[in-house]
Amino acid sequence: MGSMDREEFKRLMKPIADGLFGKQQGPRYEKPHYTVRPLNEMLKELAKVETVDYYRYAFSRDPINGKFTDEQRKSWAKEAVKCGKEYAQKIRQQYSTSEIQTIAKKLGLDVRYPDFPNKTDRVLFAEFHEPNIVEIYMDAMKKADKFLKDESISAIMKGHTKVSKIILAHEVFHYVEEKYSKEIFTQTEKTRLWSIGPVHNDSKVIAISEIAAMAFAEEINELAFSPYILDVLMVYGYDPEEASGLYEEICGYFDKEGLQA
Amino acid sequence: MSFVIGVILLLTFFGLAYYCIKGHNLMIGFLVITIIWTALPLIGTLFVDQTFLEANKVLQFSDMKGLVKILNGIYQSAPEGWGTTLVNVCWGAWFGRVLMDTGIASTLIRKTVELGGDKPIITIALLNIVTAIIFTSMTGAGPVIAIGVIVLPILFSLGVPKPIALFSFMGSVAAGIYLNPVNFAQYRAFFIKPEEMPDFTLGWYASKWGYAAFGIMLVVTTVFTGIYLTRNKARHAWAAQSRTPQAAQKDAPLYTLILPVVPVVLNIAFNFSVIGGFVIAGFLALFLCGRMTGTFKENCQLVNKLYYDGVVDTAPLVGFLLTLPMFNAVAKYASPYFSVVIGDIMPRSEIVVCIVFALLLGMGLFRGPMTLVGCGAATLGVLSNVASFSVPFLYAVFAIPTITVNIGSCITQSWVAWGLAYSKVESKDFLKLSIPNAYVTGILQYAAIIIFLGGLGAEWFIK
Ligand SMILES: [Zn+2]
Repeated sequence: MGSMDREEFKRLMKPIADGLFGKQQGPRYEKPHYTVRPLNEMLKELAKVETVDYYRYAFSRDPINGKFTDEQRKSWAKEAVKCGKEYAQKIRQQYSTSEIQTIAKKLGLDVRYPDFPNKTDRVLFAEFHEPNIVEIYMDAMKKADKFLKDESISAIMKGHTKVSKIILAHEVFHYVEEKYSKEIFTQTEKTRLWSIGPVHNDSKVIAISEIAAMAFAEEINELAFSPYILDVLMVYGYDPEEASGLYEEICGYFDKEGLQA
Repeated sequence: MSFVIGVILLLTFFGLAYYCIKGHNLMIGFLVITIIWTALPLIGTLFVDQTFLEANKVLQFSDMKGLVKILNGIYQSAPEGWGTTLVNVCWGAWFGRVLMDTGIASTLIRKTVELGGDKPIITIALLNIVTAIIFTSMTGAGPVIAIGVIVLPILFSLGVPKPIALFSFMGSVAAGIYLNPVNFAQYRAFFIKPEEMPDFTLGWYASKWGYAAFGIMLVVTTVFTGIYLTRNKARHAWAAQSRTPQAAQKDAPLYTLILPVVPVVLNIAFNFSVIGGFVIAGFLALFLCGRMTGTFKENCQLVNKLYYDGVVDTAPLVGFLLTLPMFNAVAKYASPYFSVVIGDIMPRSEIVVCIVFALLLGMGLFRGPMTLVGCGAATLGVLSNVASFSVPFLYAVFAIPTITVNIGSCITQSWVAWGLAYSKVESKDFLKLSIPNAYVTGILQYAAIIIFLGGLGAEWFIK
C-alpha cells in the first residue's frame, strides 16, 4: 500500500493535469535532421575545393541570386577572387607585413573580442560595423580552435591554429572595400534591377564582396585551403548536426566531379 | 447577495487572466470558466433579492424548461453558430496551402527583393508591403512559417540584425490581418451572430477603418524598422546556417502573382463570398501554375492533400474556437452581477474607452485581459453588457489589442514563437522592439477609431 499506489495515482492523473495545466501547444520550430558526420572527413573534402568553386554556395545567400545565370555567377566569382588577392598583395606591400592584427591596427580599425554578440544571435561569428569597428566573437573562436588541436584536422589546416585571424582578415577586407569604394571591383560592379525611363535602381552584388573577402583572407594568411571551410568548422562547435546539414547543402552546389577532383 | 456573487465572478475572471498569461491550454481554460459562469449566476438567482431579478430579464426562468433552454443556448446553439466561421477558417487554410504549393507566395517575395537590391531599407519597405498584402488572404501558422523561411534569411543576408528582421516581418503579417476576411469573420462572431447586422461587412469595415488600421500598422512598423536599423548598422556579418534548399520550387508565372489578393478584393469590392473567392483563385492558381497536369485522380488527391495540410495548420486554433462561443454566450448571464460590482467604474463614453484601452494596450500581451484570443473575450462580455456601444466601434476597440499587440507583437502568438526559435532570437530582444511599436501603432489606431467610427447611428447597435 501507500507510496506505490500514490505513484500509480499520480501517473494516472498526469494526462488530466497536463490537459488542464499543460502549455498551449503551437507549431514548434524543429530543425531538419541530418546524419552527423565526422568533422575531419567533411573538412578534408571541403579543403580540396578552391574558393572560386564555392561560388554557388556564396550566391545562394545573395538576395538577388535569382536574377543571375550560372555563367554570370561564375565569371563574377573569378573576378572577385582576383580582386581579393590583389588587394591582399597591395595591403601587404603597403604595410610591409602579413600580420593581420598589425594591418588592422595600422588601417585604424577598432577590433574588439567580446565572447558573445550582444544581440543574442548565438551562431554569429564576426561583424563589421561602419565606420571602423570589427567584432569577433570569441566563444565561437575558442570552440573552433579546440577542434584544431585534433591532429587530423590540424593536418588539413596545415598548421593554422588561429581561426580568429582568418575571420579578422575577412572583416578587414570589408573595411578596405569601404576605403576604396570608388575603384574596387566589389563596389563598382553593379547590376541594374529595373529602370523606368530615366529612373533606375542599380544594386551591388553582395556575393561578390563575400567571395572577394574570402580570397583576401586566404591570400593574406597564406592559407592552403579556402576560408569557406570555416563555415562548417564553426557551426560544428555549436551543433554538429546542423554543420553536417550545411556540409550536405554545400556539396550539393558543386559540380558532380567537384568533390572528387 | 448579488454583490457577493459579482465579487466571486470577478475573482474567477482574474483567475482566468492568470491562467491565460501562464500559457495554459486555452480551450480547457475557457470550458472550465464557462461552467463556473453558468453555475454561479443561475444558482445565484435562488438567493438574490427580487428587485435585482426583475431588473435583469436574462436571469428570469420560471421552470425546468426555461433552465434547459438557457443551457442549450450556451452549450449547443453557441458553438453551432460558430460553425460558419469555422468553415471560412478551413477554406482560408486551404487557399494558403495552394499559394505555397504553387510557388506563388515565394515567387512574389523573391521578385520583390529583386526590386530592392542591396539597399536594406528599400527592400524591407517593399517586403513589408508585399507581406502585409499576402496576409490579407492567408492566415495561420503554416503560411506565416512558409513565408518566414523565405523572407527572414533574405533580410539576414542584407545585414539586417535578426531581432529587427523578425520584428519587421511579424509586424507586417499583423498589418495584413486587419483586412483578412477570415479573421474578420472570426472576430466579428465575438460581437454578433453571423446573420445579424448584414451591413457590417468587410467592405464597409475596411473603408471606414480597416484600411487606416492596415496602413498605420504597416507604416509605423516600417518606420520603426528604419529607426532601429540606423541605430544598429551592421554592414557585414559572418554567420552560417544550413538551409533547406527551395531551389526545387520553380518561379510561378508573373501574371499569377495577382491571385493572392483576388478573394479579398472580390469580397471588399462586391461583398462576394469569401469561400467562393478562395475556390476561384485557388483553382486558377493550381491550373495556371501547372499543378493540375496529372491524371484526374492525382489532381483530386493534390487538392485533398492541400486541404488536409491546411486544416492541420489551423487545428490548435479550432479547439479554442469551439469552447469560446460557449463562453461568449455565458458572459450574458454573468454580466448583471458584474454591473453591480464594477458597473459604476466602467467607461461609458467612446473617447474614454479609447483612452483607457490605449493606456492598457500592454495587457493585450501574454493572452491578457485585452486580447480576444485570450482573456479579453471575458472583458468584452463585461464591457458590452454594462454599457452600450456600437458593434463596429467595439470591434475596432478590441481588434487593436488582438491584432496589433497579440498577433503582431507578442511571443505567445504561435508563429512569433516559431520565428524566435527559427532565427535564434531571445524573447526579450524581440519584445524590446515590438512593444514600442505596438503602443505607437495602437494609439494612432485608436485615434482613427474616434475619427472614423465614433458616434455611429442606432442601426449599428445590438437591438
Ligand atoms: Zn563578409
